Amino acid sequence: MMKVRIAITLFLAALALTTVSRPDGVVYASRLAAGTAQDEFALALSNVGAHPHIGLPNFVVTGGGADQATAATTIADVLWSDIDFEREYDMIPRKRSASIPVAPPATLPFDQWSDLGADFVLAGTARFTSATAVTIELRLIGIKGAGRGKEYFAMQYDCGMQTARGPRDCAHAIADDFHKQKRNLDGVARTKLAFSSNRDAMRVTGRPTTTAGQGKEIYLSDYDGANQQRFTVNRSLNINPSWSPSGGALAYTSYASGFPDIYVANLAEPGRALTRPAHGSDQVQNQLPAWSPDGTKLAFMSNRSGNNDIWIVNRDGSDLHNLTNTPSANDGAPSWSPDGGKLAFTSDRTGANQLYVVTAAGTGLQRLPISQKIDRPTWSRLNFIAFTIETSSGHDIAIYDFNNPGVKILTDGVGSNESPAIAPNGRHIAFVTTRWGHKQLAIIDRTGQNIQKITEVGDNEHPTWQPFTTK
Amino acid sequence: MKRIVLIPVLALLMAAACGGKKPPVPVAPPPFPNGSAPGGGADTTASRPPDPPPVPGGGGVTARPIPNDPYSARDIKDINDNSPLKPVYFLYDSDQLDDTAKKVIASNADVLKQQATWVVTVEGHCDERGTAEYNLALGDRRALAVRNYMLTLGITAERLRTVSYGKEFPFDPGHDETAWSHNRRAHFMLTSK
Repeated sequence: MMKVRIAITLFLAALALTTVSRPDGVVYASRLAAGTAQDEFALALSNVGAHPHIGLPNFVVTGGGADQATAATTIADVLWSDIDFEREYDMIPRKRSASIPVAPPATLPFDQWSDLGADFVLAGTARFTSATAVTIELRLIGIKGAGRGKEYFAMQYDCGMQTARGPRDCAHAIADDFHKQKRNLDGVARTKLAFSSNRDAMRVTGRPTTTAGQGKEIYLSDYDGANQQRFTVNRSLNINPSWSPSGGALAYTSYASGFPDIYVANLAEPGRALTRPAHGSDQVQNQLPAWSPDGTKLAFMSNRSGNNDIWIVNRDGSDLHNLTNTPSANDGAPSWSPDGGKLAFTSDRTGANQLYVVTAAGTGLQRLPISQKIDRPTWSRLNFIAFTIETSSGHDIAIYDFNNPGVKILTDGVGSNESPAIAPNGRHIAFVTTRWGHKQLAIIDRTGQNIQKITEVGDNEHPTWQPFTTK
Repeated sequence: MKRIVLIPVLALLMAAACGGKKPPVPVAPPPFPNGSAPGGGADTTASRPPDPPPVPGGGGVTARPIPNDPYSARDIKDINDNSPLKPVYFLYDSDQLDDTAKKVIASNADVLKQQATWVVTVEGHCDERGTAEYNLALGDRRALAVRNYMLTLGITAERLRTVSYGKEFPFDPGHDETAWSHNRRAHFMLTSK
């Protein structure tokens, strides 16, 4: 009897120990005791044009075997990409620094780093406490001048490594924390994209030809294109996903019942708990959903009055009403202003599609002064609208900034560029481009620089960028 | 003036009259009225009496397809793969029906008058040059333009559905004017017969 009780106690103690390992993506951050020399770093950054050059070597790894060493390298690679993506630092390519010996922060080869042009090195240790848990200690160490050897940042992160996602999720959380602490910047490393793709070539049953019946499904991926996975499985046409403001639901158009209607899928619910708030039928068809910023309403394009207008409905399907009652014109592609007070949309009421803004009550209609044909306005919480603009060579991505009114074209006329989706921090725009042949998703900085390919397989379209989720 | 108005009305009346002459489709009665299955048990198949033997010889009904209807033996998928309903083509960024388009629609309307039970879906399609979002509305306009013209030819609204596929379902995967001209279409799909 006594032996059994001891055995149970031991078992419970063992259980308590194993539950220390974190689920992937839930990262615990704690400040390390060492003092940080914030002021001098801030001084360096305030120097105009002086983006600090930062090196990021492999971590010093303790514990674990070859798999854990590989995971630690992945964390360093992804962390490098995440920090590089926000363009706050001039990151030294890891290939260039690969020959510099990996060393603990105190004994970094300072001269070699200095020769590579590093102002700082982000040096870390990865301590595997089990096969499924790692503690990363990360320090930003000065390389040059009086700052050599000083610590400008010192944090410890406990990350779960239970699935293949573990290393990337760990790096994303570290990158977002680093940007928040050092630059007071909301990084987007943990956000995701949703888009539609024909990559699985699911032929819709009953279609007359192969190409006129190639289904499209909704897919999800990390912001950087990693971990792409299919979200809808219905062998139909599923397009134009729109991420809810809380990040927990997707609205999209599906032809699953033979006509286009708006579906809302709850990402956390088994079976997605699908609803169809726009009440479509074979006579009433709905497209292009857009969430209000508080997540309570959807605006969309509907032909229920005999031509296409913007309609608004509550998420639960109540209070359906017409926002733009224009019997002789087509209104489409709505997007809400950040405060929910206005909507941008397209209309051909004067001929070619132009960009209009109207209050959510349907008053104060205003045409923005853009002479070219436009489509797919997307309103950023940073008070600019990104859209597709027709140019002499095809379509490009442009923005209209209310703080500095005027049109700025971001893409370069290579291929056709359409359907912008804005990152929640306003710094990046995902869009569809044919510059590499098939339709692929790419991301470009709001400055028009740094085009980066996100998808590779099939045709990929209609991106939406997950907002910051409430934590 | 009056005559002009009368002609379409007459056409409508004639179409309605034709529809009225069609014999009603026989509907088999349900095996048992609700809740009165023999034995009243849950397993009705087990207690169902055996089918009577087929009636031999004279007095029975012999069925054979109507020789002039080539579609009665074909299923919907087969008909759509090689359809008597022809596509209607459009100019770039246009939902206007030209004379050729109207002739095609009239010929399709004749088919629907022959096949009085057919319900069709008019699909609006676009070429790839416009933006994806704009083309959803343009395809809708094309489908509605064809539907509305079919209504003037006497086809009733409940037999005509519409759907816009924008540029999502191109019939020709090419990227030149030949492909584009194939893809700017209203395509007729038989939905039920």
